[in-house]
Amino acid sequence: MATKKIEIVVPPREPHFVGDGFRVHNYIPSAYRLDMKRMDPFIMLDYNSKFYFPPTEKPRGVGVHPHRGFETVTIAYQGKVEHHDSSGGGGVIGEGDVQWMTAASGVLHKEFHEENFSKEGGDFQMVQLWVNLPAKDKMSKPKYQGIANAQIAKVQLPDNGGEIEVIAGQYKDTQGSASTFTPLHLQNARLNKGGKASFSLPATFNTALLVIEGSVKVNGAETVATNHFVLFENEGTDFDIEALENAVVLILSGEPINEPIVAQGPFVMNTRAEITQAIHDYNTGKFGYLED
Amino acid sequence: MNNSFATYLKNNAKMTDQQLEQLEGAIVKKTFQKGQFLSQKDSICKHAFFVESGLVRLYTIDSNGKEHVIQFAPENWFTGDRSSVYFNEISEYYIDAIEDTTVVLLDANFNNRAIEISPEFRIYNEKLLQNHIRHLQKRISMLIGASAEERYLDFIDLYPDLTLRVPQWMIASFLGITPESLSRVRKELARRNFRP
Repeated sequence: MATKKIEIVVPPREPHFVGDGFRVHNYIPSAYRLDMKRMDPFIMLDYNSKFYFPPTEKPRGVGVHPHRGFETVTIAYQGKVEHHDSSGGGGVIGEGDVQWMTAASGVLHKEFHEENFSKEGGDFQMVQLWVNLPAKDKMSKPKYQGIANAQIAKVQLPDNGGEIEVIAGQYKDTQGSASTFTPLHLQNARLNKGGKASFSLPATFNTALLVIEGSVKVNGAETVATNHFVLFENEGTDFDIEALENAVVLILSGEPINEPIVAQGPFVMNTRAEITQAIHDYNTGKFGYLED
Repeated sequence: MNNSFATYLKNNAKMTDQQLEQLEGAIVKKTFQKGQFLSQKDSICKHAFFVESGLVRLYTIDSNGKEHVIQFAPENWFTGDRSSVYFNEISEYYIDAIEDTTVVLLDANFNNRAIEISPEFRIYNEKLLQNHIRHLQKRISMLIGASAEERYLDFIDLYPDLTLRVPQWMIASFLGITPESLSRVRKELARRNFRP
């Protein structure tokens, strides 16, 4: 099997705040060579690297805002976040949990640090990923998958190397827990020092990894440090990672949807006219209503 | 010559490259970070502004410290305190950047020079003025006689994407209603239009 080589290693950009609760480095789409087309179907990736939020009475977060045309996936590593949306979806996710919200035809939602977490303060560490939907599903019904860590399928690695959490898609023969609209794989590799994991993913899929904790060696050659993002070439299928210390690595790989992408703020559609319609629908209450 | 304003003048005022070249030097570009003032009360604001990118607002602050938004100016809008720019009076208004913004500074002579250079600009400039007055008439009429919902529906027609760029309280201020009243309007629209 041909080796899948690294195309580029992207260091974290300067962090910025989303609302007052998420201090994130953006990788997709603003980092060099990580634009929406190149990363298709992954159209946005924000990473709140580990950051201490002091105690507060008023939970921090992002107030009511709309989405249409894609899915938001929140992967919690530390801290707790609470979500509510206008289609009735909602819940709290904490360490190791995943929230997969299909905005599709449109939702209003808000995301805040969970109340007790806010009161106590603590380290907060999360990824938010936006997964595009194909044109035929953009106006489908919104849905919400809250996936507790216990529900996530896990594959033990040999030699006490750690484990792979299969959030979506599959690893070896193990199916992931989340349902997706297009073929994609999303996995957390939780590796012990010296642990090794190998991956075999279609050459045509856009494939990347983000080092959440620790540092790893990719394909036995390149060392990748914490908070660094690796984009792989669209050639070859196989790569491996080895933990140089205890490490957590997020792996994402998806089949490109290959449709036009027109994005404005919280809407990602196929044409400018659809964006105009989305704004109009939002303004006239067609996304529903959610109290701030 | 800056591309965006030049493009605007080409597309709207039908100015030629040659005419635009003659205007070079009369057009100065400036960038402001979110929150920065373009102009403040009690000073003379020597320029009108053409917004190339970003978003600014023109507003007053009353004796109770409450802000009243007179105008939002997103991309391709003009704004400015006319009493200051054209009549040299001390300004009553604040203008600040709601987003990181790039504007073109237009002084009182700019129009005169552009009119000298281009008869098409004169025609366009007059149309722009008439349009501005029409807009003000409508704004007065809405503020005096329209319901909160009618004002909001007019607002989203005029500024479709500002609901995504501006906080609710600022929109409420522009509409001359309370934020609670704006929430009620949006809730009522959702009640009528939301089909889950």
